[in-house]
Amino acid sequence: MGVSYQAVGWNRQKKIYDWLIFAFCALYLSTFVGLTVVFNADYTFETVLIRSTSTLAVLLLHIILSIGPLSRINRKFLPLLYNRRHLGVTMFFVAAIHGTFGILQFHSLGNVNPFVSLFTSNTNYGSLTDFPFQALGFFALLIFFLMAITSHDFWLHNLSPRVWKTLHMFVYVAYFLVVMHVMLGVIQYETNPVFVLIMVIGSFTLICLHMIAGFKEVKKDKVISMMTENGFSKVCVVDDIEENRAKIFCLDKERIAVFKVDGKLFAISNVCKHQNGPLGEGKVIDGCITCPWHGYQYLPRNGQSPPPFKEKVCTYDVKVIDDQVWLNPNPYPEGTERAGAPIIAP
Amino acid sequence: MIRPLRRIHLRTWSLFAVLLPVGIISAWLSVPSLPAYKLFQPVQAEPLPVVVRTIKTEDHIINLRSDASHHSYQLEWINITALSAPSALIYRTKNNGDVENAEIIGRIDPRGLYRFSLKNDTTGNSHFVVYDIIHHRVIEKINF
Repeated sequence: MGVSYQAVGWNRQKKIYDWLIFAFCALYLSTFVGLTVVFNADYTFETVLIRSTSTLAVLLLHIILSIGPLSRINRKFLPLLYNRRHLGVTMFFVAAIHGTFGILQFHSLGNVNPFVSLFTSNTNYGSLTDFPFQALGFFALLIFFLMAITSHDFWLHNLSPRVWKTLHMFVYVAYFLVVMHVMLGVIQYETNPVFVLIMVIGSFTLICLHMIAGFKEVKKDKVISMMTENGFSKVCVVDDIEENRAKIFCLDKERIAVFKVDGKLFAISNVCKHQNGPLGEGKVIDGCITCPWHGYQYLPRNGQSPPPFKEKVCTYDVKVIDDQVWLNPNPYPEGTERAGAPIIAP
Repeated sequence: MIRPLRRIHLRTWSLFAVLLPVGIISAWLSVPSLPAYKLFQPVQAEPLPVVVRTIKTEDHIINLRSDASHHSYQLEWINITALSAPSALIYRTKNNGDVENAEIIGRIDPRGLYRFSLKNDTTGNSHFVVYDIIHHRVIEKINF
């Protein structure tokens, strides 16, 4: 969270995260090159580079796409989510090296523009065996490029979260293109079944993780309170909520987080203004509700970010009767001050 | 994540649960089955049962074969290492090894096994020359 935009708002965690990414990539590439030199010494430098970066990019893409569902299934994975964008940009650079050398090696030595050659050297779009798979990789890389250049919060703010998120949802289209790029490309002439196995395991893992996380969220949304009185619904007992933590309820259209802070209950929207992170899964730090995704903060009593920040979320009425927590799902305008519900010890 | 986004995620991955396996399996099934490697040479005749004489070097084995009654003869050439020439002709010659007026027995490639039928009069001393027809040089002279 910052008042002004910086290229990267470095902090210790980001530095450690990025060093780990760099070390992993360097280790992977050097191992790949080393093994190739030992077992396939006749391969050219360009071929080794194309192959090593392609496999690394595919691996990184699978890791990136598994972080979201993993952190929804288990909170221990949340630290990985914090700088997922850095991993995404790294993956784009690795994929760009693969794409650049692929075009140089296969399309730059003729008398046709390499990009024209990419789309015209093979036009067997009706054949699975001879499908021009490089075109699929090109469009996937284009999507990754758009995502990488708009990954900064500057673009998130200026494009609006809705447009930004819609653009970044195209990562799934890109993933499908990458899978087919591999399956219709290298798999068609590499007889080694390991390549197919890797793609099958990768896709299967991602499908399972996303489906498990998705159905878990659906289950949360289906919890309906049966007891309603004067617009308030009974949701839980006071002891169900930990101090400085929240419990999330979905009574109407959107989820509401009820926090317990300093002997009072406060209810605010569960959706962070930054990237729609789940505020109710965060905790109260320095008196502020802190989003678990990127650390955006809000005051419990009014849903406003502390000055000089300007983010605001909706607030709700909550009350405690005989140790029971009652919640009104009708939202107040964003940033509206609420007194909170005092918890009276029995 | 807001509720519509949660729905989109779930629907997308439900769709992928179908699309990805279909795509992967279709691509896997379309992998062309390459023909097994075959040496580019005609099917060789069956070997005659009797090995009359053998010459064995580091690079090849040459057998002069015949049937039991010694009416039919056969020259068998087995390459152990690849021939240095891309193609060569085997001639049966007089003693002087001149290929100009010699009888062509057959052609051999760098690898493989070859059997050539010989005319019935191949008895006693037989002289053969392996000749590189591209570079016009004698590769080897064989005297049984």
